[in-house]
Amino acid sequence: MTLNRRNFLELTAATTALSAIGVSTAHAQSDDTIRIALAAGGPRHSDPNLTTQGPDNWATEQIYEQLARPDDGRFALAPEEYLPVLATEWSMSDDAKTWTFKLREGVQFHRGYGEMTSDDVVFTYLKAKEVGTGRVIMANVADVVANGPYEVVVTLNAPDVNFLGTTVFSLNTNIVSKKAYEEIGAEAFATDAVGTGPYELVRFDSESGTYLKRFEDYWGEKAKVGNIECLYIADTTARTLALISGQVDMIEAVRAPGWIDSIRQRDPNMQVDMTVPGSFNTLHVNLNRAPFDNLQVRQALMHAIDRAAVSQALAPMGGLLVGLQPDFFPPGLKTEGLPEELRYPYNPERARELLAEAGFPDGVSFDALCSQREDYSSTMLIVQEQLRLAGFNMNLIIGDHTAYHADNRSDKNTLAMHASSYPPIPTQIYIQQLYSKAEVKADGSGGGNYSHYGVTIPGVDDLIEQALSAADYDTYLELCREVELQVLRDLPLIGLSTLSYTIVRNPRIELGYPVESGYARWRLHRATKA
Amino acid sequence: MARYLLLRLGDAIPTLFLVLTLVFVAMRILPGDPALAALGDAALPEQLAEFRERMGLNVPLWQQYFNFLGGVLTLDLGRSLLSNTPVLTLIAQNLPYTIELTMAAMLMGIVAGIPLGVVAATNRNKTPDTGVRLFSLIGYAIPDFFLGALLLITFSLNMGWFPINGAGTDFVSRVHHIFLPALTLAFVKAAFLGRLTRTSLLEVLGKDYVRTARAKGAKENRVIYQHGLRNAMLPVSTGLGLSLLSTLSGSVAVELVFNRPGIGRLLIDAIAERDYAVIQGGVLVFAGFVVLINLLMDLVYVVIDPRVRVK
Repeated sequence: MTLNRRNFLELTAATTALSAIGVSTAHAQSDDTIRIALAAGGPRHSDPNLTTQGPDNWATEQIYEQLARPDDGRFALAPEEYLPVLATEWSMSDDAKTWTFKLREGVQFHRGYGEMTSDDVVFTYLKAKEVGTGRVIMANVADVVANGPYEVVVTLNAPDVNFLGTTVFSLNTNIVSKKAYEEIGAEAFATDAVGTGPYELVRFDSESGTYLKRFEDYWGEKAKVGNIECLYIADTTARTLALISGQVDMIEAVRAPGWIDSIRQRDPNMQVDMTVPGSFNTLHVNLNRAPFDNLQVRQALMHAIDRAAVSQALAPMGGLLVGLQPDFFPPGLKTEGLPEELRYPYNPERARELLAEAGFPDGVSFDALCSQREDYSSTMLIVQEQLRLAGFNMNLIIGDHTAYHADNRSDKNTLAMHASSYPPIPTQIYIQQLYSKAEVKADGSGGGNYSHYGVTIPGVDDLIEQALSAADYDTYLELCREVELQVLRDLPLIGLSTLSYTIVRNPRIELGYPVESGYARWRLHRATKA
Repeated sequence: MARYLLLRLGDAIPTLFLVLTLVFVAMRILPGDPALAALGDAALPEQLAEFRERMGLNVPLWQQYFNFLGGVLTLDLGRSLLSNTPVLTLIAQNLPYTIELTMAAMLMGIVAGIPLGVVAATNRNKTPDTGVRLFSLIGYAIPDFFLGALLLITFSLNMGWFPINGAGTDFVSRVHHIFLPALTLAFVKAAFLGRLTRTSLLEVLGKDYVRTARAKGAKENRVIYQHGLRNAMLPVSTGLGLSLLSTLSGSVAVELVFNRPGIGRLLIDAIAERDYAVIQGGVLVFAGFVVLINLLMDLVYVVIDPRVRVK
């Protein structure tokens, strides 16, 4: 074939026409659909009991419901703040070991799988106890029995005054249809589960995302927008461009200093929603490694880190941590409420004095591993500079995120930053990061207690166990406060800052409620699109 | 011919075996724990141990290796450690996107590159020749990912002519989505093929039989296309094979820039999350393509050049 001038002109005309069709396709997106771009390669599961990837929970949050949950856009800071959802009322026995739930009548499952009854709740809870990612959470559940079609009784092995927070409002206890599970089969159910939420699953595409439509037989107020597309764009630049071009309406933000400012510079009308606190950024001090086995060196470390400056650098996403919990969480500490010796104000001179008293007048040098992920590396680079002024020469070795976590789990780090999101259930962070049973092991078989607290030096195991078996909420909180104070005395784990989970959305999307706190996902049933 | 084919296939098997072994070993040497990547850093030791057992990661390495090789021989590449989806399903979902991108890029590269080479050769040392040489230089110098980002920002973000990401659904939308990624890859192909065609054609046009054709009064178009270009295509066809391989590997970066599904993106995501089974499956596909393309090029060479014969 030869390409002459006429062929060339024909080709150009065809290309132009194709582009014009494309332009109209790109801009003619349905107004009745909210598209959110999430920071991962593709969805893994839609069964809430199998969830292992945070972004997948955006779809499950719309499809499924628990028996009770806090109001949209916030955490429940106390048991009385939980609202009825699939249960209309509940009660706790005096010993906090038996919880009885009365179920809402007339709730329909998606795709014609019938009414939700106590059989479905029993099935969901027992399935979560036997298989899935929440077996540790469910380990305290001794039994779940139906008492008629609309009542369920849960008995626990140990008291749990916070059962609504620890278990009922967890992903694994989103109620699914027993009938659908039996008909669809366990394997297919992983990506095709059936719930009762305001949106139902239309398509699960492991490459592009999860597609939902409004559930017309929803028991409550129907969702205002007809469709939701949870799309997956792992690359931060591609995700940002998708928002700016209008291809998607909302994106997961990049949690790095200056990112919010840069997006607002591009488009000042973009709306930013943040959960406060979001992640708890903590710093594990390895008590098995010199010189950090010395309390004075750890105290010097505390005086050397300007925690207010760290959170300020991450503004508006950063927040201050005095202890291990944010001050508005139970039992968060405020600096002014602490004894003088546990306040550790930023004071590099005092840090140098403490180092000298500990036998290190010329300062100390050490290596620390760090993840290259933006939130880790930016925080640790700030800390590195602060430490340098106080005589700590921290040689940061920044590497791959997956390798970083594996190294931490193999006890290879000296000062390990950890970022995890927690609800207002203080014992969760203690169990994961301070409990002696969670001590890190060199062979990788240990847990997230990278400091060896409770093993190398006495820890807070007794206090945690007492808190877990408390039969009233006030005692529980008092014991958790004791844990916080003891940790400030021993300094195995330093609260660095909080870092909000952030979504940027096009101003034509209104959520219908303000986002104040909560998990890294929120419901879109009240949202509208202009 | 059949013997030649068998010989070449015989060469391919150890190559594939070596690639698979290297990938298996490399992934195990690389620091990182697939169980942690799958369950998150907040996972408890019991959950991690149960995951490793369920996915067969707790057995000795040699046993994992033989399980993997056995799976390859029976066309069972295992399941993704993260989503539990069969690797073959993931490959089947992604491969068509990579193939269509590679083919579209090759088509655009050939359509642009060969005519450019002819124009340059027939206008040696004149303005069109200088232009083509400059274009080739730029084409070689600009990396795929940079050019892709440039095109994306200009034509998708600023002008809004093309979608920012994805691959489209129906035919028109797929063509619309593939245009810029294919153009990105085709730019380098056109530069390479243009340069190769120019050099090859210039060499042929200096041969005695071309001078004879001209002396016999053949029209210039006939001299160039029938006597010149036809014979100049031999090195170009070899170049096409190399170009196809580089397009295939270049698709990895382009799939990332344009956020297109494909084997490249599947592999990159799997490497980041230490999804061993998917990495091994993805590399097997790439290696298979390389072997297949090399084999095809050898066969094409035998067909189009009678001087090449199996001894």
